[in-house]
Order: sequence, then C-alpha cells, then structure tokens
Amino acid sequence: MIKTDKWMIWAFVGPTVLLLAVMMYYPMIGTLIESFYSTSFINPKPEFVGFSLYNKIFSSGNFGIVVRNSLAWTIGVVFLQNLIGFGVALLLNQRLPGQGIMRALILLPWILPGVVAAILWRFMYDPQLGIINSFLIGTGLSNTGIAWLAQESTAMIAVIIAAVWKGFPFSTLVFLAALQNVDREQIEAATVDGASALRRLFDVVLPAMRKVIVVNVILTTILTFNYFDMIWILTRGGPRDATHIFPTKIYQVGFGQFRFGEAATYGVLSVLMLSVLVAFYFIAQGSGRNKRAKA
Amino acid sequence: MKSALMMATAISLISAATAYGQEPVILKFWDNQQTESGLSQFQQAAVDRFESENPGITVEVTTIPYPEFQQRLLTAVQGGNAPDISTLDQIWVAAFAKAGAISDLTKMASDSDISRDAFFPGAWDSADYNGKLYGIPFNVDAWSFTYVNKALFAKAGIDPSSIMSWDGLKLAAEKLTDPANGQFGLGLFGHKGEDTVVVTDSFIFSNGGSVLNSDGSCGLNSPASVEALNYLASLVPYAPNGILNASSGDMRELFLNGSLAMEFWPALEQPTLQKSDLNWDFVAGQAPEGKTAIGTYGGWNLAIYKTSPNKEAAWKFIEFMTREDVNGDVVDLVPANIKAAKTFLEKNRLGAERIMKYLDNAKARPLSPVYLEVSDAEMAMMQDIYSGMPAQEAADKACKVIDAL
Repeated sequence: MIKTDKWMIWAFVGPTVLLLAVMMYYPMIGTLIESFYSTSFINPKPEFVGFSLYNKIFSSGNFGIVVRNSLAWTIGVVFLQNLIGFGVALLLNQRLPGQGIMRALILLPWILPGVVAAILWRFMYDPQLGIINSFLIGTGLSNTGIAWLAQESTAMIAVIIAAVWKGFPFSTLVFLAALQNVDREQIEAATVDGASALRRLFDVVLPAMRKVIVVNVILTTILTFNYFDMIWILTRGGPRDATHIFPTKIYQVGFGQFRFGEAATYGVLSVLMLSVLVAFYFIAQGSGRNKRAKA
Repeated sequence: MKSALMMATAISLISAATAYGQEPVILKFWDNQQTESGLSQFQQAAVDRFESENPGITVEVTTIPYPEFQQRLLTAVQGGNAPDISTLDQIWVAAFAKAGAISDLTKMASDSDISRDAFFPGAWDSADYNGKLYGIPFNVDAWSFTYVNKALFAKAGIDPSSIMSWDGLKLAAEKLTDPANGQFGLGLFGHKGEDTVVVTDSFIFSNGGSVLNSDGSCGLNSPASVEALNYLASLVPYAPNGILNASSGDMRELFLNGSLAMEFWPALEQPTLQKSDLNWDFVAGQAPEGKTAIGTYGGWNLAIYKTSPNKEAAWKFIEFMTREDVNGDVVDLVPANIKAAKTFLEKNRLGAERIMKYLDNAKARPLSPVYLEVSDAEMAMMQDIYSGMPAQEAADKACKVIDAL
C-alpha cells in the first residue's frame, strides 16, 4: 500500500469514525462515567461514589425482578416472533392466489408506529370494553372479563403477545427473502429422493437459511431487549413490577425520579446483560458450526 | 422629503424597540397542552395583547404535549437551553428550585401588585420552597369531585348528596353495583400514575392524615392515613375489574357509556360531560361523618429560569398572564387568580360556588424536592393495597422507602 492510499483511506473513513465517536461512543462512555456519580437533577454537582450505586441496585429487590422480566420478555418475544415469522414466511413463499396483497397486508403491524400499536392493544385488552374479553364472553370461554394487564399472572404474557404481533412481520420479511434464495434444485432433488415436506424443511431449507436465522435472532434480541414503548404504554412496568424491564426502569428512575446517576447505572447493567445474551448466541452458533465440521 | 420620512420611520421603530429597555427582547415561553380545548388560540390572542401593551417585547410560545413536557424541560435545563419562562407542575417546583434551575421571585413579587391574597392559598403555597417563592400560580384544579350519573342514582333511589360522607359513598356504591349487568358503582383506579396518588391523598387529607409529616417524615402509616387507605380498599368490590392498570381516563370511558355510576375527576372533566348526553351532577369530595372533605391541589405555576437574560420582561409577562382580566382566557383548568376563577367558573362550569369552596380548602401535595420519589412509593403502596396487602403493611413498606430518601 502506498502512502497516498493510506491518506485516502483515512479521508474516506475519518468522517464515519468521527460520527461514530461523537454520536455513539461519547454518550456510552459518558453513561459509564455517570454511573459512578450520584448525579440527580436536584444535585447537579456530581459526587464520585464509586460502585455504591451498583451496590444499591444489586441489594434492592427490584434488580432481580427487572433481570427476570427482561429475560422472560426478550426470550418470549424473540422465540414467538421468529417462530410465527418463519411460519408466515413459509406460507407466503407458496404459489397461492393473492400472494402479493397478502405480503403487503402482513407488513401492516410492523409499519404502525409503536405508540399507535400499543394504544390499539390497550383498547383490545380493556377488561370491560375490549374486543378480546367480548370474544371470550361471547363464545362462553369466560364468564367475566379478564383484566389482562392488571393481573401479575397475565400481564407479561399480554405484553409479549402485543409485541409479537407488532414484530413478526419483520421476521417474516427477512425469512421470506432467505427462503427465496434457497436452492430450488436441492429441494427438488430431495423431493425426487422421496423426502417428506418436514424432512425437506429440516434437512434442506433450514440449513440453507442458518446464517439468516442467526442474524435475525440476534437482531430481534437486541431490538426486543431495548423495546420501550409497548410496555410503557400498556402497563408502565406494572402491575406492581410484573412487567418492568431495563428500558422502563431506566426511564422511571431517570425521567420519573430525576436520578440520572442511578439511571445510568441501570443503563450500563442493561448493556452488559444484552452483551451476555448476544455472546450466548454467538457461542451457540460457533459450537453448532464445530459440531457440523466434525460430523 | 423622502429622506425625512425614512428618518421618521427609523426613529419610530427604534423608539418602539427601546420603549421597554435598550434592545428588543424575545421571551421564550413554554407551556404544556393538557386538553384539546384550542387553548393555544386564546393564548396567542393574549400574547398579542401583551406585546401591544409592552412594545419591545416579543413572546415566542411553544406548546408541548403533556406527556413530553417534563422530559423536554429537563433536557433543556440540563443542556443549558431552558426557556425564559415556563409553566411548571406544582409537584416539580421544589425540585427545580433545589436544582437551581429557576429564580427566586420573592422580591419581584413583594415589589409588585402580585400577592398571596389574589390566589388560592394552596396554589400559592405550592410555589413556596424553603420560605422563598419560586413561581406564581397560573392555573389550578382539585382532585377530586365525584361525578354522579343522576339517572342511575334515581333508578336506585339514592340521593346524590348522600355520598358526601364515606358511609354514604360506600352504601351508594354497593347499591349501584351489578356486575352481571355490567354496571359498577365507583370508578377506582390504581395504575402507576399521579391520578392514583391525588385521589388517595384527598381521602387521607379528609381523614386528617398526611403524606409527609411537618418534620418531613412519612405520614402514610399514621392511624388516620391507614384508616383512609383501609376505606379505599373496602371500595374495591364496587369498582370495575382491573384497578391496577386502570386510570382516570379509563373510568371516564365507562362513566360516559353509562356503566359506571360514579367517577373521580377534577373540575376539568366538566367540558367533556357537558358535551355528552349524560344527566350528571357532582359532589365536592367525601369525608367521614363530622369531618370536612379536603381535595388535593393540582395545577401549574409560572416560573422564570435562572439562565434567562430577560428576567424583568419575564416578570412583566407573569404579571400579565395572572391578571384578573387575562388569567381566565389563557388556562384550560381553573384560573389561579381567585377573581378570575370566580368569573371563569360562573361562565363555564356547573356548581361554581361548590368548586370555589373546594379549591379554597384544598391542600397541596408535599412540597419536597424528592416528591416524585415519594409519589412513586405511594403508587407502589396503592398497587400493594389493591392487590390485597393489608393497608398498614403496605403503608409501612412505603414509609420505609420514603424515610430513606
């Protein structure tokens, strides 16, 4: 590489690096530093407190609840969203009449702004006026309306269902694109060899889509873990703390109570936990690859 | 001739600009929009009037939806971009004062015609932090008036005035509850929102209890407060299912469609009810027999930010906006100026006298810089109580949190 090339590379890459540094890394480092200071709105002069905010959070009963809820929420939404997304993608990949319109309509929940989708689900879950309870009572499945969002036993499931409805078209879109790239000759060869539809799915289609599935799962994990609007509008983390996840807790502590230092600490812990989750996927993916290589 | 005319025009423009001070002043005023009442139109008309009365001062009004308002203000203050003036929720004043974000207005007020007697006492007190005045009351309301569906009351043979006592309210709620037919007596709500707190406070205040004692310690677990909390818990069977995620807005829907006989709302609810087909009336709060119903103040104060370079002009604007002949035109709650409030209520609300009396008697929420944390603890307490935890245990738990703040 000649010297002029080096300068050219920096000239092209420099603005991007600078933008990343200013827009992404500066706030992240700022948040990390803030987590060691007891900064709040009423105490704007930062006071270094070391790890005491971390200790405070770890020793409070809330932290365990937030971690447990974040895991349940993320795993629940990611699993169902990708499962349903994949199923719908398989359907849309068939040569059926009205396929074009179906593909467009299926995107509707994903196109809706998060706030609108959440309000829509709030109406549907309404214990007295909601369409879900009307259906259950009308069909005799329940005698009285269920307060889906007001019971600790049902609130998390209810918010997960709403988020899955909002997010599955994204997975469908990604999977559909991947399905269309699966080698048709391999599928036809498997069919000629007498492989059943299920066998073709597991032995031909899924291995061919493996990379896309992994990327999609990682992407939806990150998006779901940081998803704020749906839970905030539906339950504000309630009833009690039944649906509090990291983003809602950060918002409550930061903007609800003006305690910026503690909110930053929750933010740092949230990034750490998300990193662990994503690392877990990468490790799982790596071990899967090694097993296949050995086989 | 032409040059003389130009000179004259220039002189008149300069003199207009310098009529107030040396240079033209642009005041940035931020307000929040709580209702869809078209208020901004009236505010703009008032601003035009202010500008014509005060040549050289221009007011730029920014109206921000209520859910975003607090966040926008915090970000602006933290970023050093605060406006000159804004409305501030009564419960934020102490925190903004402690943070050094807003100016002490004590001297400005004592040097002017603005004084405590012109405003509702509780509203004036809500701007007081450590004996200094950090805001001027702009608008007020009180939680809560109990709105009644007169048709349902008549059908059940209940006199609406009977619900002024705790016993009467409970008895009426019981008679008016018929879940099999989708009818409920009372709209209790216990979601994580400030409306849950203010209604709870009014029951506590009406029984002689308190949220914080005069020494700043928690008063929620005092016998009087716990008695009020137990009373609220005893009303649960007469409320629609789902209290823990229900808000005053949800109860409004049920009240409007006739499936709820009573709802708790401030006077702000009246325009909505006036537009409906309901035959309604209201009672100004409830208290145990022999005690007086005390409401919880809600409302907004006008504050001047410390970073404002135009404090004198900002004060003039505050004087103008809280004036008797202006205050009623620029608020969507009730004007904080008593005389303006009287005129406003007589013109726009049913039962003006009852509302005035209730406002006069209402109490502000604790004036603490950590109020929002106190409020969070109180919300958690109510969620515990409505989930079935004994009131004393829930109140002790909340007090443990509050006393550690």
